[in-house]
Amino acid sequence: MTSSGSLIRGFACRHDPVKVGVVGLGKMGLLHSSILNVLPNAELTAACDKSRTLCRFFRKLLKGVRIVDNVEKFSDLDLDAIYVTAPIRFHFLVAKTVYLKTIARNLFVEKTLAWNHEEARKMSDLADQFGGVNMVGYLRRFAVTFKKARDLLAHEAIGKLTTFRAYAYSSDFLSSKGNPAALSSRGGVLRDLGCHAIDLALWFFEDLQTDSVSITSATRTGDSTRFTVENAHGLQGEFEVSCSRENYRMAEVGFSIQGSEGMIEVNDDKLELKSSDKESITWYRHDLKDNVPYWLGLPEYYREDSYFIESVAKRRRADPSFDCASKTDRIIELVTHGANARG
Amino acid sequence: MPNHSGHAADLVAASLENGANGFMFSVSATTLSILEELDQMGVINNLGLYPIVPYAYEYIRLANQAGGIPGLAKRFAKEVAISGNLRAFAMGLRGIAGMDPTSLMKAYLTFEISRVKSSIGKHAEVKSMFLHEVVTDIALALNLDWLFKSYMDFVMKLGFTPGFNTGNFSHLVEKFRSWNIDLHRLTIAAPFNKVGFQMNPSRGACEKTLESIPEPNVIAISVLAAGYLNVREAIEYIAALPNVRGVAIGVSKESHARESFRILRENLKT
Repeated sequence: MTSSGSLIRGFACRHDPVKVGVVGLGKMGLLHSSILNVLPNAELTAACDKSRTLCRFFRKLLKGVRIVDNVEKFSDLDLDAIYVTAPIRFHFLVAKTVYLKTIARNLFVEKTLAWNHEEARKMSDLADQFGGVNMVGYLRRFAVTFKKARDLLAHEAIGKLTTFRAYAYSSDFLSSKGNPAALSSRGGVLRDLGCHAIDLALWFFEDLQTDSVSITSATRTGDSTRFTVENAHGLQGEFEVSCSRENYRMAEVGFSIQGSEGMIEVNDDKLELKSSDKESITWYRHDLKDNVPYWLGLPEYYREDSYFIESVAKRRRADPSFDCASKTDRIIELVTHGANARG
Repeated sequence: MPNHSGHAADLVAASLENGANGFMFSVSATTLSILEELDQMGVINNLGLYPIVPYAYEYIRLANQAGGIPGLAKRFAKEVAISGNLRAFAMGLRGIAGMDPTSLMKAYLTFEISRVKSSIGKHAEVKSMFLHEVVTDIALALNLDWLFKSYMDFVMKLGFTPGFNTGNFSHLVEKFRSWNIDLHRLTIAAPFNKVGFQMNPSRGACEKTLESIPEPNVIAISVLAAGYLNVREAIEYIAALPNVRGVAIGVSKESHARESFRILRENLKT
């Protein structure tokens, strides 16, 4: 049985809209709140931000939505699911409160799951203990190009995998005029941006999820990190992450994957399959049914939210679950410690 | 260091020579410099201007750098104060004091339009002022009909046609109808291309909605589907659509500008 198809503790499907509360009213909170408000099977019921100024603003903006400044005030709202879109360093605290105060059993947490692997592991344990559906917002799993790449890999379209190269670039911190502490407050370049490439690698190459994966090198220069990995079966990978790269106004993640019978190159917009014995095939977003019922930011966001809400409604496991996403936090921690150790 | 705004202004001028009659741009320091260059070149008065506010992606980047929305708000307030725009400053203060979204929006629009006006001289014409797709589609999703109405009233008082850039054309038109927003008084910029790229929920639904609107007040964007289509293929499709008032095309080379607008001129005769 695939993990995405398993049922959670045998509850029946529900037909009422899933009542959702959103914690953290920054840009991601606003984006998810908006999509939740158009999903036919969801109801944006409440929102929370610790800033009282933002609460005052959102009370005027979101009439009919209960706005509070403390997540514990969600307790009497009979919510089905919580979206945690607060800064990463608060994810554990918010999730712990939601579980222990029995505010809701279903949680969606924006990436990364936690501020460090220890907290990620504890969140995963809490999710196991309390049941319900849990998921982390790695939106690129919902991009048509990466989804197609995973299908090709699953069908061994390029044979036995040997090496891969992954990158994640943005220009977000190219200007030195920005607040130098801001990147640190977002958890550093790996947590802010590199996590997308790591999550996709874990999704593409399930072997990397075992404990046998080792970080063979790691270097950090300013806003960039480079590291290599290897698993017990000899698959070798290289990651390069930078958020001060020129010409990446929009962040981009991509992979070159080498197999015994060909190669796959994929990024957010395009996928190329180069087989050893056949002509190359290229697919663009345009070729891969990229339309969604409601467009906001990227179509991936709609698909991601729709999938989570559907999973809650059908009491079905969602991926990447906390357990699955905690492995990304583990790799980030291994790389960060490795890079620090190497100076 | 290359003069990027000078190069961009040359591209606009080349497009103008070949049949373009408008310039759609997100309001930013870079595009304001381009407007100043166009003014100095003496061509700006021949262009209809279509500013898009806010430059959402730039603000998101700035928010990342400044440590989130509170940091961005402080930076923006500082910019308004430094600009000496008293009207915007007063509206902003009122908005902050009451945490009033409408006053804050008006303060922001006043600031942005004053920046545009100070870059274009007295005779250039702002045809329509567009609300950026991200803001339009968030407001649409959250059913903020009062925000759309306030935006329209305010922009019309400034003497411009209110515009909405959206990735949800059908949904927007349907909602506007249900909110009794007069579709005659606005312009909509939305994706239209023969492969249905970014036409949500589907190409068919967007085409059907386009047929139903009362007059040609749509500007087709993404007509090349992010480079997937060539200009000739793109125009063949657009030319057959009803109610399209104009087409926006991005160009990065002078030869591209000349060829694109020549083909457009030949095929989109009005």
